[in-house]
Amino acid sequence: MGGLINVSPTGLLVENTLFVIAVVVYLLATVGYVINLFGKKEWGGFAANTLRVAFLIHTAFILTRTVNVMRVPFVGHFEFGNMFIWSTVLVYAWTEWRLKDKYHAVGAFLMPVVMLYISYITLFPKISRAHNPLPPVLQSNWLKFHVSASVLGYAGFSLAFAAALMWVLKYVMENKKDAVKGSPFLKTLTQALPQPRVLEEYMYRASVFGFLFQTVMIITGAIWADQSWGRYWGWDPKEMWSLITWFVFAVYLHARFTRGWTGKKTVALVLVGWVAMMFTWMGVAWLLSGIHSFG
Amino acid sequence: MAQETPGLPEQQSTQASPIKQILNFLSSMQLGIILLLLLAVISVFATTQEMNTAISSIYTSWWFVGIMAFTALNLLLCTIERIGPLTRQAFQPKREMTADGIKKMQINRVIKVKSPGDEPLASVQQIFKSNGLQTTVQETSEGITLFGERGKFGYFGSIVTHLSLLLILLGAMYGALTGYETRNGGMSGDNFFVTQGNWRADIGEVRMVFEKDPTVRPRVYSDVTITRNGKVIKEGTVSINDPLRFEGTSIYHSTFLWISQVNITDPATGTVEELKFFEGDRYFLQDKGVQFESLAFFPDFTMAAGGRPTSKSYNPNRPVLAYRITINGQQEPWDLLELNEPATLETPNGPVEITLTGFENAAVYSIAKNLGRPILFIGAVLMVIGLYMSFFLFPRRFWATFDAKTSSLVVGGRGYRNRLGVEQIMERIESEIRNREGE
Repeated sequence: MGGLINVSPTGLLVENTLFVIAVVVYLLATVGYVINLFGKKEWGGFAANTLRVAFLIHTAFILTRTVNVMRVPFVGHFEFGNMFIWSTVLVYAWTEWRLKDKYHAVGAFLMPVVMLYISYITLFPKISRAHNPLPPVLQSNWLKFHVSASVLGYAGFSLAFAAALMWVLKYVMENKKDAVKGSPFLKTLTQALPQPRVLEEYMYRASVFGFLFQTVMIITGAIWADQSWGRYWGWDPKEMWSLITWFVFAVYLHARFTRGWTGKKTVALVLVGWVAMMFTWMGVAWLLSGIHSFG
Repeated sequence: MAQETPGLPEQQSTQASPIKQILNFLSSMQLGIILLLLLAVISVFATTQEMNTAISSIYTSWWFVGIMAFTALNLLLCTIERIGPLTRQAFQPKREMTADGIKKMQINRVIKVKSPGDEPLASVQQIFKSNGLQTTVQETSEGITLFGERGKFGYFGSIVTHLSLLLILLGAMYGALTGYETRNGGMSGDNFFVTQGNWRADIGEVRMVFEKDPTVRPRVYSDVTITRNGKVIKEGTVSINDPLRFEGTSIYHSTFLWISQVNITDPATGTVEELKFFEGDRYFLQDKGVQFESLAFFPDFTMAAGGRPTSKSYNPNRPVLAYRITINGQQEPWDLLELNEPATLETPNGPVEITLTGFENAAVYSIAKNLGRPILFIGAVLMVIGLYMSFFLFPRRFWATFDAKTSSLVVGGRGYRNRLGVEQIMERIESEIRNREGE
């Protein structure tokens, strides 16, 4: 059993069209950021503006979907992934604006990750975009808080991951100075990447943002589970993997601000944390069984 | 867990007593990190196991609980160890500073000024204030030092976070030791007794409210009255996401079941037995030598592809009971019983007539007493506050003095955990001083 909401053909058409346009414009922004990375500075502003346009179209898609499903579009793998992508772009666009467009290079690393997320929710055959009604167990205001905190937490970790990738690339380049000197391409790339110290700070701040919301997500989930299932912690794989992700980032943040860890060790922790986050989102859904079967 | 650089290990080993060394180890952040990583690795392995196996053989095992207890001990010792130094750090800052002392700070600026003396310092004082710094002026024999600070409560972020984790662990432990969990339920008119809590629950009306889309699992509301020694202690309605709470105990709606009302009539004698069956219930008809088994109830019956009975929705548009009879130990093929349409079964001792006369719902409850819940809640709120204090209330301190030897303003800054933030503020301060100096 499990029916579908009867969506009007016009509603469906608007929804699908907006989604396709948003994806295409996101792709265009990604291309812009990558070109900017290779020395074409004028593409940075173009990419940033394109991203903002894509984000607005994406927002319109979410609003249309909300109207079509007659509830918050937070349920199921597609809707969660969609909100996660939207939040990632929102947080990145906000940081770009806050930093006065100084670090367009981050976009060249974050946006391909975002495109991977989009590919996953659109191309993975097991993910349904069906308009399902909300089962009673999910008819709770905690859904809004829990999922909002979750997608914002994931967004922060995605940004930290992008900065970690940049740090790794910068590190490799700096350790292969001869090869970089001989290649104008690599030289431009190295120059475009911010200093490791800046990248570490960016990674740290993004992780802090993610960690705070991951904490709120776990807490709101526990309160909701207590109301709904009669216990605040059930050792469910989704709960456990959220906690594992939290542990990894907790270790990173502790190590950084109390022991002054920097460099390879902290970057490695952020990369591991991102993998744990991805497994919480994707791996648990398809490889492990638990009670979080709705998303 | 968190600990500021304690000095070289060699120094510690030669200076501290063995007990102090053990305490240092138990409160060290290295141990905290190792324990957190260990918990993470074990949890990764545990999630690859079947959930109930993981709960019984890992999460509730003595060694896993032991690691958590060890983590709690590490947190507690670390918190105790840090409270004193952090309090001193937060409330007893060194307000006087010489120009040379400020120059030694990692973040400092030396800015030539036109007018010597107090005037530039007065200007810096305004700039400090405009940057949100609480400013004091210290006069010493060596001159005037301006001191500005902000965010001193940020020093306590890690302490509050640690305390919150301890509270959460304490709440979980207290809840587990003083509480209980069980499951029970029934249909309208039923009652059950919960020995652990010494109370009885009487189930009143159990009603199903359908969603707009009948294929979505409906909500079931059940009225429950709780009594102890005949005295009512709580009355209310239980539904999904809306438990009934009393005395630290909660009754949660867990699920609902269909109950089929079946009449079994012996045509020879005219006797009628009115029975109620949950799915899976069996009833042995002694005089007929047959067993009746209720297999499944379908409120909106249809036959799916492959001859599999199913329900199109939760709406009782076509209620059907699938059943099976066993004669002399021999199972007959399953059959279907439609509402108010009697079926006659041929048994070795004569025919028997069975009729599905109705159906109703039973509510299934999860019952849990958890006195640790308020502690857990306070712990959760404190954790968010602690993390906010840790990451967003970063303490920053600035000093400024006039260096007569070089006719320069010397400004220095220090931060706790956020060097870049201090650098950004220093950039602002420098730029404002230069603006005022007309540069």
